[in-house]
Amino acid sequence: MEIPYFEFSSTSMLLLLAGFYGGTFLLSLLVRHKKENVDGYMVSSGRVGFGIAAASMTATWIWAASFYAAASSGYTYGLSGAIHYGLWGALMILFIFPFGLRFRQLAPNAHTLGELIHARHGSSSQLILAFSNLLGSAISLMVNFTAAGALVAVLSPLSFTHGVLIAGFGVLSYTLWSGFRASILTDFAQLVCMMAVAVIIIPWILFSLGGPSVLAEGMSRLTAEQADFFSRTAILEQGAPFFVAVLAYAIGNQTIAQRLFAVRQDLIKPTFITATIGYGAVVIGLGMLGLMALLIGVVPADGDLNNIIPQMASGYLPPVLIALFFILVIGSLSSTADSDLSALSAIMMTDVYGKNIAKGRPDPRKMLLLGRITMIVATMIGLILASFSLDILVMLVFVGALWGAIVFPVISSCYWGRVTNTAFTAAVLGGLALFTIARFELLPMDGVIGLLFELIAAVGGGVVLGLMTFAFFGRTAGMAVGVIMTLVLAWYFAGFLGDYTVLLASLTAYGASTIICVALSLMSKEEFDFALIPQRVQRFQKSDSTQAAE
Amino acid sequence: MEMILTLYILVWPVISAAVLFVICRAFLKDLREAREESRDLV
Repeated sequence: MEIPYFEFSSTSMLLLLAGFYGGTFLLSLLVRHKKENVDGYMVSSGRVGFGIAAASMTATWIWAASFYAAASSGYTYGLSGAIHYGLWGALMILFIFPFGLRFRQLAPNAHTLGELIHARHGSSSQLILAFSNLLGSAISLMVNFTAAGALVAVLSPLSFTHGVLIAGFGVLSYTLWSGFRASILTDFAQLVCMMAVAVIIIPWILFSLGGPSVLAEGMSRLTAEQADFFSRTAILEQGAPFFVAVLAYAIGNQTIAQRLFAVRQDLIKPTFITATIGYGAVVIGLGMLGLMALLIGVVPADGDLNNIIPQMASGYLPPVLIALFFILVIGSLSSTADSDLSALSAIMMTDVYGKNIAKGRPDPRKMLLLGRITMIVATMIGLILASFSLDILVMLVFVGALWGAIVFPVISSCYWGRVTNTAFTAAVLGGLALFTIARFELLPMDGVIGLLFELIAAVGGGVVLGLMTFAFFGRTAGMAVGVIMTLVLAWYFAGFLGDYTVLLASLTAYGASTIICVALSLMSKEEFDFALIPQRVQRFQKSDSTQAAE
Repeated sequence: MEMILTLYILVWPVISAAVLFVICRAFLKDLREAREESRDLV
């Protein structure tokens, strides 16, 4: 069954976009200061309340691809598909909060994670983090602008380019002046819209297509694997690689770190828990549209699974709800895009200018100007890349690997005083090199070489599970789980994991970087004094209230 | 099977609605406190 797309008129589409971006811009005016404070521009007051912080964390973690990928997973893997996208993405927010507490405790006045690492190790480690985020956020901008263009082109006579340009300039317009402060306030409004729309359209589509009885009849369409809630194929091809990838994204990503440094310190835990539940519910819920499409026999237009959600909306929602669905997708991509702009500006302001050009004595006016110029340039780059409709898979894979290789060095640097700058840098570069060999099969992944990579990947798996245990239960439990799981996985992976290249390569990045980092750290006699970090990481400017008092 | 599928699909919007309520209530509390203390919300 092929469902045709609903089409708005050009005027209706322009009114929807003008209403969304115009409303968001007006909202941003509520927090606008004539003279913005540079610290506020990057992390607000550092005392943001629970409501806005939880909303912003959730909205940032949900991007346009979340819905499409969750629905694709539901359509491909059946009953467990949406879970294998949304649940792991959600749990990663939960798993990183103990590390977030540690980052905040070490550097309560930080603006970026790179700044903390600069205080711990120096420039090379910091710049690795900064580079990974510059690349990651530029790609994220491009993906989100591309999603806007594609949706506008599908649902109206307007072109892909119109959609890309309107989204790009719309996001820039409300983020440029007040930066992160505008981003988190508008995130709140955007998330409220997204959640409210999701609450309405999921049951609406379920009953419009004929209700649960129609779905139950469609169970016969499922293959044995699709009908199995514990499908091994779904776990190995979707769940496990995604689980490993999102841990890397959550730890290394500046958009998450920025919110971590902005929220009031005692509210970090409830913020992350609420974001976990909110993200999981919205994304898995919309992923159910993929399962419903599979059960009623919808065929994706042009064979592209990304078309499933727009097709389901077109086929089973009235025009008013299709308009709300459109706002849901535009809201999700805009909230992530404004977070990327804020992240990019904070990295350029702090990691590049503040720490490496001004050497810790920055001029706040120049810093602010640099932040705003960064946003403009980043938007232009995002628009240009989006207009080329590039295949971004290789770049995404590369950034994912870079962040995967960063996870252990970053976390161990915050707990273990013997980790050196050399160990950090060599671990990331080594992890990335071995990842590249495995991912692109530069060497034959069989025989002794294949076994070696499978064993490194087993270490990577042990590290992922050990770190998660360590986060909640401490060092002894973490190390015990890490060692035991490495041995179990080594037995399980040997002669087997080579067939699952994506998972093998991702785990290799974790495993190799950990082995190198631990080996070089054990060779060093350095014992870092963590009390130095808060002394080295300070606000760049007096707060607004202090200035007013003076 | 119908009942299980219905619950499996509809539990997510129900949870979303609950989270939406919690976030909105917290936002209003943040807003009220910011006004009482004469400071910016963000």
